[in-house]
Amino acid sequence: MLLRVENLSLEFGEFKVESASFEVERGDYLIIIGPTGSGKTILLETIAGFHTPKQGRIYMGNEDITSLPPEKRGISMVYQDYMLFPNMNVYNNIAYGLRKKINNDGEVRKEVKHIAKVLDIKHLLYRNPTTLSGGEQQRVAIARALVVKPKILLMDEPFSSLDVKTREKMRKLVKDVMKEYETTVIQITHDFEDVFVLANKVVIMKNGKILQIGTPDDIFRKPTNEFIANFVSTNVLRCRAVGKKGNLSVLNCNGVTLYTPDKSHGSVIVSIRPEEIIVSPYKIFSSARNILKGKIIDVIRRGNLVWLTVDAGIKLRTVITPNSMELLGIEKNKDVYLIFKASCVKVIG
Amino acid sequence: MSGKLSFKGFCIILAALFTAILFIAIAFLFFVPSPQEIWKSMTSPEMIFSLKLSVITAAVSSAIVMLLGIPIGYALSRFSFFGKSIVKSVIDLPMAFPELVLGLSLLLFFGNTYVSRSFEIIGLKIVFTKLGIVVAQIFTALPYSTRIIYSAFEGVNRRYELVSRSLGYGEFETFTKITLPLAKKGLFASTIIAFARCMGAFGAVLILAGGSYMNTETLPIALYLNMSYGNLGMAITSGIVLIIVSFIAIAIFEKLEGLNAVKS
Ligand SMILES: Nc1ncnc2c1ncn2[C@@H]1O[C@H](COP(=O)(O)OP(=O)(O)OP(=O)(O)O)[C@@H](O)[C@H]1O
Ligand SMILES: [Mg+2]
Repeated sequence: MLLRVENLSLEFGEFKVESASFEVERGDYLIIIGPTGSGKTILLETIAGFHTPKQGRIYMGNEDITSLPPEKRGISMVYQDYMLFPNMNVYNNIAYGLRKKINNDGEVRKEVKHIAKVLDIKHLLYRNPTTLSGGEQQRVAIARALVVKPKILLMDEPFSSLDVKTREKMRKLVKDVMKEYETTVIQITHDFEDVFVLANKVVIMKNGKILQIGTPDDIFRKPTNEFIANFVSTNVLRCRAVGKKGNLSVLNCNGVTLYTPDKSHGSVIVSIRPEEIIVSPYKIFSSARNILKGKIIDVIRRGNLVWLTVDAGIKLRTVITPNSMELLGIEKNKDVYLIFKASCVKVIG
Repeated sequence: MSGKLSFKGFCIILAALFTAILFIAIAFLFFVPSPQEIWKSMTSPEMIFSLKLSVITAAVSSAIVMLLGIPIGYALSRFSFFGKSIVKSVIDLPMAFPELVLGLSLLLFFGNTYVSRSFEIIGLKIVFTKLGIVVAQIFTALPYSTRIIYSAFEGVNRRYELVSRSLGYGEFETFTKITLPLAKKGLFASTIIAFARCMGAFGAVLILAGGSYMNTETLPIALYLNMSYGNLGMAITSGIVLIIVSFIAIAIFEKLEGLNAVKS
């Protein structure tokens, strides 16, 4: 066990985090998700040592670090807006923490050059950080945090200001780099794709409380309450790419064939948003490529929406309004068709 | 529509008028006396003495103001401590306080036998001395400077400091390596204000340091003393010198700041 957070309580004016507990093993990639204002950033900053908890303990290995100042913890932080020091160029930003650890300019230079190569920012070393793009700033921030070889790397929504393509690229890069530097990571995200691609542990927070801790599979397949179910309501499937048809990839998901425009090789993870699936009692002809037949195995009314789980060889969640439920005569055990466009099947990993 | 337009016109005219009057008034300062008269006053021993005294005391005072104002401004911006709001309002107080009353309070305090004796033990005489000028200037300028320093620190995102801490730097190192450089602009501005305030300090200086001829006679006091003797030429020249020194100070600081910006 590398980090143990025990019964941590925090108070910020009106806002409280109440008895948060979780553990992180060496090499873990833990992701914290939760709606805005749930206390994720505060929790992360407390682990880094920026706030003193009202109650509870934080252990690193066997050492109690609850009252250790941040500079003694060996925990690095990457913020959403990166916080690159504007009074230094990129090189000096990355070298900043190293210089404190190593008293040898040549050594520092070597380390900076190495990580700059790994993160593909070599060409930016002598730029002013304010002139960099979001994705470039992010790589510099990660380099700065990682180059000191922290025991734990904390990242607060590191991908949120990047476009979809860059985000995918960065995820892959981060994953590789974490392997090379053997880093343990705690990351905050709003993006469930991060969870599937990166995490091996997930913590779900709401209103200052931890609602569920588990593996990504646990969380998505067995959400323990409504909030989590809604929050992670997307359908996530593990499939195998089996061929091409025109410019679409053909996927085999547990025996069911799906089409997607995304490039796929070997085993892939796909997501299908429930609201993008059309439900119909009859087979209808449409331009949508994916048409599955299945049986409704669960109907849950939640607020002014109705959530259906349909078993079509794969279990898919979908959502309709009470109105259309009446109109379509939807009820449990009824056979229905699920219709969705190829572009609704997104390959996320 | 036309009502709005005329209101807009009214405001603009008022602004223009006021600016014009101010400019003309300042111009009068330069053009009423003859150049020969100004030159004669400017080179008089009294004027040279006052100029030297003013520049030296203002430089010393503004250095001390910055040394005090930086930690105070930082504490107000970053830390929460018992009595913080009281400290904040005490610091703001002298701004709403007439300078003369401030001088009077300082005189009563430093003139108190116990206080003055304890200062004399360490060899410091404050009342009616040049040291008194410095003390009075510090108290006049400190609130203004502290305010600007405070907002300069407020403008530096705390997260820069937190990142620096997490990279192994302690509180003080983080302050010198990150916070100070990032607050640089505000600190420069604050230094200029401090110097200008110290140069122009009058009421408190007059009362605490006594405004005696060729002894504690700073430029504003020279202006006042000569005015009351009916020495218009000397008075006006003091005013001109005051303005010139302030402009030179601002020019130097801006040059320094510019150089600094280029370097980094
Ligand atoms: N210094 C502070 N004083 C008072 N309240 C604070 C302070 N810092 C944060 N809060 C409050 O604490 C709550 C949690 O904030 P936090 O930044 O941890 O949320 P978050 O989960 O990171 O949200 P987001 O996903 O939007 O980043 C918010 O309601 C916020 O307003
Ligand atoms: Mg946050």
